[in-house]
Amino acid sequence: MKLRLWPQSLVARTTATLLAVLALVQIAGFTITALDRIRLQRFEQGRHLALRVMELYITVAKTPAEQRAELLRILKMPAGFSAQLSDKPPASLLISPLEEQRVIRLNMALVPMPHELRPSEVSLLGSLQEGRMMIGLRLPQGQWLDITATIPSPRPWYAPGFLIAFVVMTVIAGGVIFWTVRRLIAPVATLAEAASHLGRDLHAPPLPENGPTELARAAAAFNQMAERLRRFVQDRTFLLAAIGHDLRTPITRLRLRAEFIADDELRSKILADLDELETMVQATMAFGRTAASREPLAPIDLAELVRTVLDEVGDSKPELADNLRYEGPSHFTVHARSVALKRAVANLVTNAAAYGGGARVVLHPPSGENPQVRLEIDDDGPGLPPGDIESLFEPFRRGEDSRNRETGGVGLGLTIARDVVREHGGEIILSNRPEGGTRATILLPV
Amino acid sequence: MQARFDKMQQKATTLARGLHYSPFYKFMEQTPHILVVDDDREIRDLLARFLQLHQMRVTTARDAREARRLWTQGHYHLVVLDLMLPGESGLDFARWLRSESAVPIVMLTAMGEETDRIVGLELGADDYVAKPFNPRELLARIRAVLRRVSEAAEPRGQRAQVLRFAGWTLEPARRRLLNPSGVEVPLTAGEFDLMLAFAERPNRVLTRDMLLDLLRGRQAGPFDRAIDVAISRLRRKLEDDGRSAQLIKTVRGGGYVLAATVERG
Repeated sequence: MKLRLWPQSLVARTTATLLAVLALVQIAGFTITALDRIRLQRFEQGRHLALRVMELYITVAKTPAEQRAELLRILKMPAGFSAQLSDKPPASLLISPLEEQRVIRLNMALVPMPHELRPSEVSLLGSLQEGRMMIGLRLPQGQWLDITATIPSPRPWYAPGFLIAFVVMTVIAGGVIFWTVRRLIAPVATLAEAASHLGRDLHAPPLPENGPTELARAAAAFNQMAERLRRFVQDRTFLLAAIGHDLRTPITRLRLRAEFIADDELRSKILADLDELETMVQATMAFGRTAASREPLAPIDLAELVRTVLDEVGDSKPELADNLRYEGPSHFTVHARSVALKRAVANLVTNAAAYGGGARVVLHPPSGENPQVRLEIDDDGPGLPPGDIESLFEPFRRGEDSRNRETGGVGLGLTIARDVVREHGGEIILSNRPEGGTRATILLPV
Repeated sequence: MQARFDKMQQKATTLARGLHYSPFYKFMEQTPHILVVDDDREIRDLLARFLQLHQMRVTTARDAREARRLWTQGHYHLVVLDLMLPGESGLDFARWLRSESAVPIVMLTAMGEETDRIVGLELGADDYVAKPFNPRELLARIRAVLRRVSEAAEPRGQRAQVLRFAGWTLEPARRRLLNPSGVEVPLTAGEFDLMLAFAERPNRVLTRDMLLDLLRGRQAGPFDRAIDVAISRLRRKLEDDGRSAQLIKTVRGGGYVLAATVERG
């Protein structure tokens, strides 16, 4: 079973745990203090009771026996006290606990009075805890003075300062816990942020390697990993570029040799194969280059760029020329790396033409709620294969039915396009259109 | 001088009007002599055979040193130069060659290495083909360059870094066209070649055949309509596609002319 209220974030969890522990400690401390105070108050009540009782007793004892009844009637009793004269000791309650007896009797004995007045017998019934006590004192003349006292229950939290101090202490401790935990755990969030950033941009700046030792070590390890990753990707890229580079000479030779083949059909077929081979090499090298190329940003007419791409695709596939359309403003300036951006758009348009038999490109200039330029490349093809759309961006990955020669390609088009667009600070989103077909959306900051 | 070239131009126009496309070298007195500099022996030999098959004379060199020796001993109409040479680089050799002569140079650049291409074009190379090249494209480029050179109005030697006309800027080395507010307007390779041809010969009629020659090789399947399509796209991009085009005007009888003053800088 999962705890519904258990928070997800590490800060919240740690804070919650620490606050719970703090609460337990506070409750325990509070209880101990309260018990202690109750004991103290009982003792105090015992002393108080003894003094009041003795005062009353002395007053009664000093009065002549015949006037005592009259005295008790008119005497002002302390709150909760009542007294009467009787011939026998009180008997309606149980005998008081020993501890209370000791306290009360000791305090009674400490009250100074002439020896002849002292009660010859004292009986204690009831208990402080139950809130009612009966004390019987035998007067020198043999009569009993029975005093009944109601004892208020102890109030351990009576002092307001105590409660305020407790609340203030709890609030401060809670605040300090929350602040410390947040500070301690903040680097974890930074690390997570850096890791996800590294996934998008391999050249993200390194983490600062300061702070507590453990965190500095984690940051250093992370930076080291990023560096190794960079080198690994770089090596791969170099390898790709080197292979592409080395293939140029044999392809050139083959092209030249093919020109001497007398059989026209055979020659044109060989040349077509070579074209395909070259396209693959070109794509591979373009992929290797995107990370390395640092073309400067310059103003370029995006609308014309799109139309130029459509024209070029149309020229190479005249049968599709009528299905390549542009909608949007006739001019729209963006700051971009023109060669790279053109390649990205061309890759998406080529995909749309290859899988969807055409492309409709719509340029949406930034509007109020959307500060980015949106370029939508739609086709009427079968749409994206079901499954993980993200995986389509992986290098050398192609849609299920594209392994055939018709659509060809190496599987780098989308990878390159996304690298380029991300380098511009934008994003590419692939989706299926509700009315059928695929939509590739390029978002570019202005 | 100017008058003579104009006359030649006219002659070419009249000829082209009546005839089908005729190879440029019919206009030349002799078969062109090409110097091919490439470090790969097979490519050198195959290329020599291929160009010979298309009525050209070819001498080959394996590196810059040999090329320099051959250059001083013979006479060449054009140099095909691989930029990736062992020892002295192709760019250094091109620089030396430019200081010696105005001979047209067609570079073989490494695919995708834009900096080499830009530096080469800035040094004064006339054109480039990216390796692995299509031999027919190379042939078309060689012919186009030879034709351009034979028709060039001004003494060759220094190539303009930028060409400005009616507020527009053309950068041949970077192959960019900038509009009056400095925004790049993308062009296809073929459109760029057309634009450059116009800007290098303002106020002169360029025949459809000459323009077709430029597009050949750059574009798959050049056909007659390709010129009209490319011109109309260029006009659109130059915002010259109103009722009557003001910048690129159609000449009755099958040609186009750039009606603008071109500043070279």
